[in-house]
Amino acid sequence: MATAQAAIKVRGVSHQFGEEGEQRFVRALADTSLDVARGELMCLIGPSGCGKSTLLNAIGGLMRPSSGSVDVMGKAVTGPLPRDIAFVFQESALFPWNTVIENIELGMTFQGVAKSERAGRAGQALEAVGLKDFARHYPAQLSGGMRQRAALARALSLETPILLMDEPFGALDEQTRMILGEDLSVLLARSGRTIVFVTHSLGEAVFLADRVAVFSARPGTIKQVIAVDEPHPRKPEFVTSEKFTALRNQLYGLLHDEIRKTVLQSGLGAAARQDAGPA
Amino acid sequence: MADTSTGLRRRDALASRLVQVGFLAAVIVLWYLAATRWGVNRLLLPNPVAVFDNLVDILRSGEYIDDLKVTLGELAAAFAISVTGGVTLGYLVSRSPYAIRVFEPLFAAIYAIPIILFLPLFVLFFGLGPASKIALGAAISFFPIAINTITGFGTVDRSYVTAARSMGASDYHLFRHVLVPAALPVILSGLRMGFTVALLSIIGSETLASLAGLGHRIVHLAESMEMARMFAYIVFVIAIAAILNAVVSGLEARGRRN
Amino acid sequence: MNAPASPVVRYLARRPWAARLLVIAFLVGLWEIAARFVVDPLFLSPPSRVIASLGTVFATRGVPAALQLTLFELAVAFVLAVAIGLVLGLAVGLQPFVRRSFFPIVLLLYGMPQVTILPLFILFFGIGAASKIAFGVTHGVFPIIVTVVAGVQNLKPILLTSARSMGASRWQIFRYVIFPHMVPSFFTGMRLGMSGVLLGVLLAELYVSIAGIGYFTTLFTQNFDPTKLLGLIGVLAAMAIALNAVVRRAEAHFARWRAG
Repeated sequence: MATAQAAIKVRGVSHQFGEEGEQRFVRALADTSLDVARGELMCLIGPSGCGKSTLLNAIGGLMRPSSGSVDVMGKAVTGPLPRDIAFVFQESALFPWNTVIENIELGMTFQGVAKSERAGRAGQALEAVGLKDFARHYPAQLSGGMRQRAALARALSLETPILLMDEPFGALDEQTRMILGEDLSVLLARSGRTIVFVTHSLGEAVFLADRVAVFSARPGTIKQVIAVDEPHPRKPEFVTSEKFTALRNQLYGLLHDEIRKTVLQSGLGAAARQDAGPA
Repeated sequence: MADTSTGLRRRDALASRLVQVGFLAAVIVLWYLAATRWGVNRLLLPNPVAVFDNLVDILRSGEYIDDLKVTLGELAAAFAISVTGGVTLGYLVSRSPYAIRVFEPLFAAIYAIPIILFLPLFVLFFGLGPASKIALGAAISFFPIAINTITGFGTVDRSYVTAARSMGASDYHLFRHVLVPAALPVILSGLRMGFTVALLSIIGSETLASLAGLGHRIVHLAESMEMARMFAYIVFVIAIAAILNAVVSGLEARGRRN
Repeated sequence: MNAPASPVVRYLARRPWAARLLVIAFLVGLWEIAARFVVDPLFLSPPSRVIASLGTVFATRGVPAALQLTLFELAVAFVLAVAIGLVLGLAVGLQPFVRRSFFPIVLLLYGMPQVTILPLFILFFGIGAASKIAFGVTHGVFPIIVTVVAGVQNLKPILLTSARSMGASRWQIFRYVIFPHMVPSFFTGMRLGMSGVLLGVLLAELYVSIAGIGYFTTLFTQNFDPTKLLGLIGVLAAMAIALNAVVRRAEAHFARWRAG
C-alpha cells in the first residue's frame, strides 16, 4: 500500500495529561505512528488506558496531541473536520430532546448541508441501518442497540470519507453486538469508507477489520499490526472458521501480557502476582 | 478541550474570589458615594458609616435583646409544634402506601400556595401578640416536615425490613434500628427546610402585623424614618438568619453522617 | 384483607383522588361545625356562610379594583422575573469563569430573608403597584436564575463534543444544543418563580394597609368580619392555585423528553 494513498497518516504522536509532578499526570500515548489506507477498516485494540481513544480523538481533531502530527486526506489536522470525519461514540451522543430523524437532520445542519437535501439523506441513512419505522421516536424510547444504529445513521448521512468509531457497541450485550457487527460489515462493503474502529473485543476486531493495530499497555504505542485477509462483507460463518480462530489466538497472545501489565499498573494484580509466584 | 494543570486551576479559583470581593467592595463604595456625594436623599439611603455606628450601638447597648427574645421564642414554639405534628402525622401516613397516595399530593398542593395569605385570619383569631405568629409559623413549617417524613419512612428499602424481621426483630426494634436510621437523612432535610421556612414566616408576620419582635422593630423604624438604624437592624436580622441557618445545616449534615 | 371489602371501599381503593376529596370534604365539614356551634362568630365563619356572602365581598367598593390590580401586578412581576432570570441565568451559566465568580453571590442573595427589606421597598417605590411588582420580581427571579444555570451546567459533555465534531458553530451549539437542553429546567424554574412572585406580591400587598388588598384585609380584621375576610382570602388563594396549576401544566408539557 503506497503511503501516498493513505487516508490517515499519524506520525510520532504522543500525548500526556496534566504536567509532570502533578497527581493527575498520565502519559497516555508514546510516539505512535500509523497509516490507514483509503477504504480500509482499521481496528485499534488494546488494554484499558492504552490511549486508543486518545489517538482517535487526535485523528478526529477533537484534541491537539502534545507532540507529533496527524494528516487526514492530505490535510494537517488542527481541529474538527466535519466534511471529512464523522464520529460514532460509545455513549449515546444523540440529543435527547430531538427525535431520531431530527437528530440526523441536525447533524447535517451543523455540517452545512442544504436544507432541501437533508430529508432525503436522512431517510436513506435510516433505511440503511434498518430504523425507517422509528424516525419519529425519541432516543429514550429506543433500546441501546437501536440508539447506536441511529447514531451510525447520523454519521453515515454526513457522507464523510472517514468514519471514527470509539467502541460504538461497548455498552451493548453480546448478542446485539454480533448482529450490529454483521450489519456494519454489510454496510461498509457497500459504502467504501475509511474506518477506524476502537474496540476491546478480540472477536469484534477480527470479524470487522482489514487490519488490527495492537496497542501496548500505558504509555501506549503500537506493538504490532495484524492483517485480516478476508473480503467484505464478512459472512457469519467466518466466525467459526479456522482462520478466524488462528487470528483471534494471535491477538490474544499479543494482548494478554499487555493486559496483565495494565492490571498490575492499577494495583489490582497484587494478589494475583502473589498467587502466580515468580513470573 | 484543553486540559488545565493544577497551577492554572488554583489561579482560576483565586481570580473568582477576587471578582467576588471586588464586586462586594464596589457595591459598598457605590453606596457610600450615592449617600454622601451624589445627593441621594438621606431619607432614602443612609450613610453606610452611620449604619455601621448604629449597628455597633445596638449591639453594645443590648437594645436588640427584647426583640430577639420575642422572635426566637416564637420560632422555637412554632418549630416545636410543627416538628411534633409533622413527624407524627408523617409517620402515621407513611405506614400505608394508599394513605401516602391520598395525603402526599394534598400536602404538596397546599404547600405550593403562599400560606402567609392566611395571616389576617390568624390575627383575627389570636390577636396581634406572639400566638398568631406561632400559629402561622407552625402551620407553614408543618408541610415540608410532614412531606419529608412521609418520603423518608415511605421509601425505606423493603429488603431491610425483611432482613430484620427474619432475624426476629420486634416492632419496636424495627422502628428504632431500621426505619429511623434509614429515614433519617430525608427527615433531617425536611426539618431544615421547616426551620428555614418557619423563620421566614415569623419575621414576615412580625413585619405585617405585630407589636414586638425583630420584624416589627424594622417596620417601626421605617415608619419613623430612622433610616440608618433601620438599615442596621436589617443587617442584624440577616446575620442572625444566616447564623441560624448555618447551624441548622450543620446539624443536618452531622445527623446524616451518623 | 380478611372480610370481603364493601363496594365503597373497593371503589376508593382504586381512586386515591376520591379519597382525597373525602378528606377535604371531612375537613370542610369540621370547619362548618366548629364555626357554627363551637367558636364565637366574631372569630370564625362557617364555609356555607362565606360562600353565600361572596357576593357582598365583591360588592364592597374597591375590592374588585384591588383584586384586578393584584392580578396585574402578578402578571407583570412574573413576566419581568422570567425575562430577567433567563438573561441573567444564561449570562452566568454559559461562561465558566463568570459562573464561578457570580453564582455564589446569586445563591447568597437567594438565601437572604427578603421580607426584612419589605419596608424599604415600600419607602423606595411607594405604596402603589411599582413596589409590589418590584418585590415580586426579587422573589421570583432567583429560582429562575438558579435553574437556568443548572440546566446549562448539567449538559453531558459528550453532546457538546458530538456537535463540535459535526462542525457546529458557537451560535449553533447555543441554539440547537444548550438552549433546548435547558428548557425543562427553565420551566421548572418558572414554576418556582411563580411561587416566589406570588409570595412577594402578596406580602407587599398585605403590608400596605392603606391601599389595595391590604386595606381590605385590615378593614375586615379590625371590624371582626371573618365572613368577608375568609371570602377575600379564599378568592386570593384560588387565584394562587390557578396560577400555579397553569405553570405546572406548562412545565409538564415542555419536559416531555425528560420522562424517558
